[in-house]
This record gives sequence, C-alpha cells and structure tokens, in this order.
Amino acid sequence: MDYFDLNTNLTDEDIALRDAARQFAEKEMRPVARQLDLLSADAAVAEDSPLWPFLKKAYSLGYHKILLPEYYGGLGSSALQTSLIFEELAWGSFGLALLTTVVCFPFYLICITNEEHLIEQFVVPFCECTDGSIRGCWGITEPGHGSDHVNMGEAFFSSPKLKGDVRAKLDGDEYVINGQKSAWVSGGTIATHTMLHVQLDPSKGFAGNGICILPLDLPGVSRGKPLEKIGQRDLNQGEIFFDDVRIPKEWMFVDPDFYVPMIDMILNAANLSMANWSVGLSRAAFDEAFTYAQERIQGLSPIIDHFTTKQRLFTMFTRVEAARAYVRAAMELNLNISPPHVEYSIAAKTLGTDWAFENANEAIQLLGGNGLTREYLPEKLFRDARAAMIEDGNNEMLRQHGGHVLKENYPRGPLDF
Amino acid sequence: MPVFTDRNVAIELFGDLWSKMVDETEFGKKVREENLSVQFICSDPDVTMYVDGDGPLFDDETQGKNPTVVMKMSSDTAHLYWLKKLNVPKALALRQIKAKGPVGKILQLMPLLRPGQALYPEYCRKYGIPTE
Repeated sequence: MDYFDLNTNLTDEDIALRDAARQFAEKEMRPVARQLDLLSADAAVAEDSPLWPFLKKAYSLGYHKILLPEYYGGLGSSALQTSLIFEELAWGSFGLALLTTVVCFPFYLICITNEEHLIEQFVVPFCECTDGSIRGCWGITEPGHGSDHVNMGEAFFSSPKLKGDVRAKLDGDEYVINGQKSAWVSGGTIATHTMLHVQLDPSKGFAGNGICILPLDLPGVSRGKPLEKIGQRDLNQGEIFFDDVRIPKEWMFVDPDFYVPMIDMILNAANLSMANWSVGLSRAAFDEAFTYAQERIQGLSPIIDHFTTKQRLFTMFTRVEAARAYVRAAMELNLNISPPHVEYSIAAKTLGTDWAFENANEAIQLLGGNGLTREYLPEKLFRDARAAMIEDGNNEMLRQHGGHVLKENYPRGPLDF
Repeated sequence: MPVFTDRNVAIELFGDLWSKMVDETEFGKKVREENLSVQFICSDPDVTMYVDGDGPLFDDETQGKNPTVVMKMSSDTAHLYWLKKLNVPKALALRQIKAKGPVGKILQLMPLLRPGQALYPEYCRKYGIPTE
C-alpha cells in the first residue's frame, strides 16, 4: 500500500528508487519469504530452494551493494535513498532484507579501511557479482558471547577473563584461526566470506580483538546446520567453525588499537539498518490491519467503523510515522558524520524494533482468530518482529551501551564544522 | 613542534599539490564529472583549504562554499595522511579526523586522493618539509 511521505522534497530519483524497491518487495520478496517461512531451515537453503533465484534477482538489481560506494561499483545511495529502499524491502520481508544487506558487510568494512589490495581482491568482484554467488556474513556472535560484544563501555569488556570463542595467533606472515561462531550468524551456513571478529590479544579481553576478511572455502572451515527458529525463518543462520585456518596477515584489517571505536562504527551501520527494516515491518503490519478492518464485518458494520478499532489503527499509524521520521533523522545524521553519534542509532534500533513488535502484535489482535493463522501475514510479521528485538544486540544490552554513551557524551555540542 | 612551522609554506605547498592534482590527475576529472568538492580544516597551524574541479581555495576564499565533504584534523595528521602513514579509519575512529558529508562520498573520495599521496613527498622536498 502506498503512503503519504512527510518529506515532500523527494526527488524524482528518490521516488523511482523507492517505487522499484516496492515493486520488488511485493512481487518477489513477499511470495518467496512466505515459501521459505514454511520450509525447514535445511530445505530453505537446499539446491532447489526459491532462495537462490531470489538472490540472483536481488543481485542483478544491485540490492546487495546499496551501502557500497559508486567508485567500486556500488549503488552509492544517499542516506535518504537507503532509508527509502530498506523500508520497502523489509515491508516485503524483514529476513530477506537483512540477508540482502548483510552479504555486503565484509566488503563495506573493507571500503571503510581503504586498503587498496583488499578492495581489488574482494570488493570489486562483489560489486560485479550479479548472480548471488559472492555472499558475505558478519561473524561476530559467539556461543559464549552474544551481548558481550556490544558492551564496549563496561569494565568487563577489557578484562583478561573475557575469553573469546575465536582466537587468532600470528605465525610468520599468517594468522592461524581457531574456534567457533554461534548459530546466530546471519547467512552463516551459505556465506562465501565472513567479516570475522577474533581475539588477538587475550590479555585485553575483547578490547584485544581484531577483524579480518576470511573466505569460507579455506581449509579448516566448516559449518553447522541451518538454525531452526521462531521468526525470520527466511533468513538463514548457522554456526561457523575454524580449525587451524590460515590467512595472510594483511587480511586482518582492524587491529586492537582501534577495535573498540570501530565496533561503534559497525554497530552504527547495523543498528540503522535494523531500524529502517523495522519501519518496513511496522508498516506492513499496519497495512494488513487497515485492509482487514475495512473488509471484516462485525456488528453489521466494517470493524474500521468501530470506535476502538479507529483508535488502535491510529496508534499503529502513529508508530509507523514517528519511527520513520526518527529513523531517517538518525540515518541522515550518522551517515553524514564520522565518527557517528552512536546513541542516536541505538535509539533508532531499539525504538523501531519495539514498535514493530507492538504493531505486529496489534495486527494479530485486530484480525482476531484470523490473525493467529498462517493464512494471514501478521503471524509471520509477529514472529519476525520478535526476533528483531534480540538480533544485532538485544535491546536491553543496546540500551545499556546507549546509556554508557550518554554518560560519556551528553549533552553533545553542535557539530563543529 | 608541528611539521608546518609557517602556515604560508603549507598554503604554498598544498596550493601546488592541489593544482597539479586537479589539472593533471584523475582526481580533477572525477571531481568535475561528479561535482565533488572537499574542504580540509587543519589546525596548528590553522589552514582551511577548499578544492573542487576548478582548483584550490584557501582561508577567506573558502567562505560561502558548500563542500560535499569536510575533513577536520591537525596539520600534522594531514601531513601523515598525505605521506600514506595514517590509517584513516583508525584516525576517524579515534577522532583524530572528524568528517562531515555522506559516508558514500567520503569512501568515494579516498581513492581519488591517492595520486596526491604519490606526489606529496616530492612537494615536501621542494618546500623543505620533513618526510621522516
């Protein structure tokens, strides 16, 4: 369903990009997401899965490289355009929107490091890929450490007692990597490359971590089974194991010297993405509820004419509009300054995902018994939204980190440019 | 002691360097094609430089310009950057450089500045600026 945009200054290009994404979301993502949702996690990534033609289509349209600069072959979208596209894609499917973005994460971070040899070796081929055959993932989460990774402000973060589940040791000109990433790595069992967080200096806890690019066809890499889970079942997730995996030391492009501030920069991009997708899911829930309320007759009249339904729909509408306005403002700020004011991105993610869940929950309530069935979309939206409150840093832990950032920086002064 | 002890030397050196980059390298062609502009606000000594496809402007000449990207750093940090001795993402993360402008444009600008990094040591020698 179309919506009135509070931003009345969208350019023709902004509108064209949004409309193309909307069409893709409606015609391609929704049907594939519904199919994948009903499959087992194994079947969802099997050779005959509809996932593969979907990815090929998404890559052929360039949706895998939205965040990458034009110079290397990316789309080079503005902050607003990225918001517009992400919202539409997540209206189609939160899980598939996430997958089509996380595939670029290792390559995005390489662009930020501006390491020419890595750009030529990894980023350019990714941007040129049109068949979905090069897929990145974000290898951060570990069996023993989920939220630990996003609590950089707490004392434990740099404690030598904090032992990483994946460690790397320098051996001549190579790093040797051992350990395991957890089942929550998005795209973990189907990715070809990972942006891997490893512990380099255990004496500094996670402040001794680094980040490398690691092709997942190297000897010593193995995968777990695709994860069965409550929501975002269209998003593959699974473990990755490393057994004496060797990489050239040049592939370790973030070292402990600036690991902590770099995590804030990565978290900034991840949280803003999650926030935009949440707006898409929130709007999808509103659309379902609004359409149903016009058609469903109770008490001899459409329920949209009922007093409480009007109130409930308006509350849902308000959440979508308020979240969109805030998320875009945070996006506009933090994709235009470096380093970012990360508390605004955290606020966007936590607020966006909470409200997406509330809208999905309300949509089910409004649909009544129908809302509980697989025949209608809200039950999937509900399950997808539930997962979003935990992934990429659960909301409580993110708020804890946000509170730490406030403690250190509030009130921020004006940008001194 | 800062590398540039005389701000006029910095202005002359970077004036030469930017002019060469705009006139004779891919940088000039690209910034003209894509209507890019960049402003460096350097401290200690204080020098503000603005560059677009028409060449460099300094200090008061930059008033009223609306650059695509603004980079703020000390002159010593800028010197290290041009010598390719600075890890830019690290410097950004550690707030040694502050940047304002679309992240995509900043990422796009980085490779365009590389010809200047190749030329810079030669200009340092010409103006007596140490490179070690």
